[in-house]
Amino acid sequence: MAETTIGFEPPAVVLAGAIEEPLTDLASYRAVGGYAQLEKARAMSPQDVTELLIQSNLRGRGGAFFPTGRKASFIPTPDKVAKPIYLTVNADESEPGTFKDREIMLRVPHRLLEGCLIAAYAIASKHVFIYIRGEYSREYEVLEAARVEAAGAGLMGDVTITIHRGAGAYICGEETALLESLEGKRGQPRSKPPFPAIQGLYASPTLINNVETITNVPKVLELGAQEYAQLGAPPDSTGTRVWCLSGNVARPGAYETPHGITARHLIYEIGGGLPEGRELKAVMIGGSSFPVMTPDELDTPLDANALGAVGLFIGSGVVTVIDDRTCAVQFALRVAQFYMHESCGKCTPCRVGTRWLVQFMQAVEDGTASENDFDTVLDVCDRIIGKCLCVLGDSAAMHVASWITKFRDEFRSHLEHGGCPFGADSSLANLFAPVDQHHHTPVPQEVPV
Amino acid sequence: MTELVRVTIDEHEVHVPKGLGLVETALAAGLEIPVFCYEPRLGAPIGACRMCLVEIEGMPKLQTACTMTAQDGMVVKTARTSAKSAEGQNATLEFILVNHPLDCPVCDKGGECPLQDLTFRYGPGNTRMRFPKVTLEKPIPISPTISLDRERCILCYRCTRFSESVSEDGQLVARNRGAMSVIATFEDEPYTGAFTGNVTELCPVGALLPTQYRFEARPWEITTVPTVCGMCPVGCNTTVDMREGKAKRVRSRNHPEIDEGWICDKGRFGFTHLRAADRIVDPIQRVRRRGFEPVTWEAALDEAERLLRAAQGRVVVALSGSETIEQAYALAKLVRQGTGSHEAMLPEEVTSALDAYRLPLAAIADAQAVAVLGDVPLAESAPIVDLWVRKARRNGAAVVTDTAELGDAERTVLIWSGPGGRGGATVAQLAERLGLAGKDGCGAFYVPATPNGRGIADAWAAASDDEPAGTESVGLLIVSGDEAAGDANVRALAERADAVIAISMFHGLAVGWADLVIPGTSYLEREGTYVNLEGRLQRLRRTAMPPVPDELEWLAQLASRFGVQLAPYASTVFAEVSERCYGGLPFGEVGERAPLRGYEGAPAHVDPPPLPEAQTGGEGLRLVCYKPLFSGPAVERVSELQFQRPQAEVELSVADAKRHGIATGDDVTLSGAGANVTVRARVSRTLRDGVVRMPREFAGDLRGTVEVARAGVPA
Repeated sequence: MAETTIGFEPPAVVLAGAIEEPLTDLASYRAVGGYAQLEKARAMSPQDVTELLIQSNLRGRGGAFFPTGRKASFIPTPDKVAKPIYLTVNADESEPGTFKDREIMLRVPHRLLEGCLIAAYAIASKHVFIYIRGEYSREYEVLEAARVEAAGAGLMGDVTITIHRGAGAYICGEETALLESLEGKRGQPRSKPPFPAIQGLYASPTLINNVETITNVPKVLELGAQEYAQLGAPPDSTGTRVWCLSGNVARPGAYETPHGITARHLIYEIGGGLPEGRELKAVMIGGSSFPVMTPDELDTPLDANALGAVGLFIGSGVVTVIDDRTCAVQFALRVAQFYMHESCGKCTPCRVGTRWLVQFMQAVEDGTASENDFDTVLDVCDRIIGKCLCVLGDSAAMHVASWITKFRDEFRSHLEHGGCPFGADSSLANLFAPVDQHHHTPVPQEVPV
Repeated sequence: MTELVRVTIDEHEVHVPKGLGLVETALAAGLEIPVFCYEPRLGAPIGACRMCLVEIEGMPKLQTACTMTAQDGMVVKTARTSAKSAEGQNATLEFILVNHPLDCPVCDKGGECPLQDLTFRYGPGNTRMRFPKVTLEKPIPISPTISLDRERCILCYRCTRFSESVSEDGQLVARNRGAMSVIATFEDEPYTGAFTGNVTELCPVGALLPTQYRFEARPWEITTVPTVCGMCPVGCNTTVDMREGKAKRVRSRNHPEIDEGWICDKGRFGFTHLRAADRIVDPIQRVRRRGFEPVTWEAALDEAERLLRAAQGRVVVALSGSETIEQAYALAKLVRQGTGSHEAMLPEEVTSALDAYRLPLAAIADAQAVAVLGDVPLAESAPIVDLWVRKARRNGAAVVTDTAELGDAERTVLIWSGPGGRGGATVAQLAERLGLAGKDGCGAFYVPATPNGRGIADAWAAASDDEPAGTESVGLLIVSGDEAAGDANVRALAERADAVIAISMFHGLAVGWADLVIPGTSYLEREGTYVNLEGRLQRLRRTAMPPVPDELEWLAQLASRFGVQLAPYASTVFAEVSERCYGGLPFGEVGERAPLRGYEGAPAHVDPPPLPEAQTGGEGLRLVCYKPLFSGPAVERVSELQFQRPQAEVELSVADAKRHGIATGDDVTLSGAGANVTVRARVSRTLRDGVVRMPREFAGDLRGTVEVARAGVPA
């Protein structure tokens, strides 16, 4: 496997000290001040640690951007609840285009563990579960080795950290589906409320955070809440991001910069721009779960509020560059296929809607759709969004709908063309999933009336 | 008292207990919120189908009413007043129908289908789906009694939740994910167990259907008759769907105190015994030495009269325990008042000792501690009680098998299922020792061997106050019913009797050894009453036209020949019994969902009959034989239930198995009392040490204490 390019624009926070060489062993992590913040935290009161996180306005890096400190403050204190309190770290990084958590686990596993121990201390949790994506075998080994070393060095205190490997389902990155899977059940989301802070893992109070979020925690203590809150694009997008730059770009990689740089800066200055002679068509920003960014939005600062103002999301830090060789319909179709395949099947709109979207997109790609279908499919997207049990269905619908609205002319050209004008020349050709797996017997084309 | 909160739903204001589900809150306001997956009996709501989407003030997204609970000041708008909510509901129905086949005209659910009903009321009038629908293999027999149509399935997960959280067998699962999700049995094994048929009623579409009912009737052609199941002592409330005088289907008729809307597969699928190939429809008389031939009813009654007179007061009546109170009383009145014979073989011991500890079965679910005693699994003896105990456990109760482990719970329930119960006297004695009399939520149950043992004892006693004369010789034995006809003790008595009259439904049971066989009816064909294991008097109705006259009709005729007045109507016969046993309650007041009235003046202490002498068996293991749920003359005649018949197996406790070097699947020989039997062994984690357990039908002549050894290895 090719090594991922790593880079940063100062100040590095999450990957600090690990840009050149990974800090996998305890000694090298200690050499950059590792575990000093844990000691500092344990000298404070748990409430003060939570308060610090609130002051820093550190927000979740998994996609929802929820304030981490506030989430921790929802966890009842041990005197108010007779059940154990759990901390669960979401390392099931599966959002298409996302690969920052794996770099964090490979390069600074101890910083993640230190973050876990500090957060566990803040919410009085004695048991931490790290739910790691099943395909991440090297990452698991590195993290497990770090855990063993840290435990051997007596850093755990009375906390147990368990690293649990998933079995390969996108939905298990959704927090409640993750909990179900962790409990040994079918990975399907739960209806909320009750929220995990009250009834999470084994019906006990549970705090769930993304890897990158938790890895930020030691740095919040090191820098202090005030200084951290000044980083990036205050007041809301504080701190840094490890951007996942990929696609049709000269130097793809995981790059840590403060929040607030523009996509243009990231793609052209840091990533070296598009391949020779290509033009930018779109950017998959935040992940496949959100609307796609068009070239005219390229100067929007990568800050949640600024992106939100133009209907975009910061998500999990995905910046996938799409150039003019890619067919918009094929991209939407491929994403729709992904969601159809990953829909868990629990709630109706997502289970049925994602397959229907694939059928619509395929009809467009084949040139058999009609102009009316565009309105129907947008209406179907509206009927999925906000009606599902979790956000998987919303994600599929939002992304597909954004391609249709933003690239309507290209969609229309498929109809005029009687098929895809790109055909086999599209960079996505041959990258499709086997589309219709849903028939026991071949479906007759003509149904007798 | 629970705190009441104010909730506004569609401009109606209601005051409901805090935390009440919004579906129920809406009902309190007289409003319906449509649902598919929501079913409170299946445990916590899951919010999967999205049919119940409502708008709640202060929440940006639509919410599922089934998962939300009433909070003070909540303002809820359903589809009636909120366009957003109506759009959500319409969208859900559109999605559900995208892959649902349009085969309502040939679907057995058509006409009684929640999906059809809700589509008419809330759904889109047309479809925008113009691509191929999901097609799947169908129908799949997930067992000989249930057919699964995966195309019709809307994946509400009611069936899998039933299997997981009610019957707790985990056999029904969802396989694959997304649009490929299908309901399946684990590893494609047949869906077995006592409760499988309930999923056919839970299914809100035509996906899980009873195979017996496939293409048999339409909802507008059937008459639904409320009755009570007579297959076991629980007495689940059922409705029987009748078409052209024939029973077509049995469904639950939720009595919240007895069955909570669940019935077992024996009660649900066993009804086809009515059409058994060997059903007797004409009286059969022994004509020459070994010949039997059908005779007219007139000739049969003449012969019966002759035999009754010839016995000269030495008539013995053997009862089955499945007769109605009225039938048993009519027979008792004829024999006791007409011939002066007072000897009966009642189907089982009955005691009034339990009457001070009566509770509705539903109280088990609220108990804090439940002791299940007596070694015979409740799923075999009284299946619905097993579900109540499981529910109690889910509610946090301690379920133990020894009263010593009960602890000091406030609400304690004792249940006795198995031999040694002495008609309930044993468990009543334990209850007295624990001081359960008159304590709220405390009580005791005894699982009798027959569906109406108590009612029959009441009826027999009500017919006369005279005592049996105690003569040794038997002039005439009247064998009432197929269970008595199959009983070894009854058969032994028949050997000694001068003559035998048998009332029997099936050719195989009494023809050959009885001098006169009079065709009998099934509990599904009778009007009458039963008393169940709670002591609850319940009403049976005729749900199928019997091919033979009702017992009461010919008994009344026969009685008149002996100068005994007997009406051929259940209501009049009941009135006579009720006068003496049930406080004069009229037949018409027994009730469709009968309350637990109990028996008047129940004493808290009754001297129990003496304990049988302790077994002194030395080294051996105590053999517990039981009648499995799927056994008996009716079940044996239902071909589609044969897959549920018990295995020839003996169960051993883990420790006993280890001691004897026996593993599950080994052939073992049980020996004792001069008999031996070789069967397969099964190691049970729930069985007590020192006990081995097996279905009676495989035990042969074994009884008491037995030695166990692997087959071929000397004990």
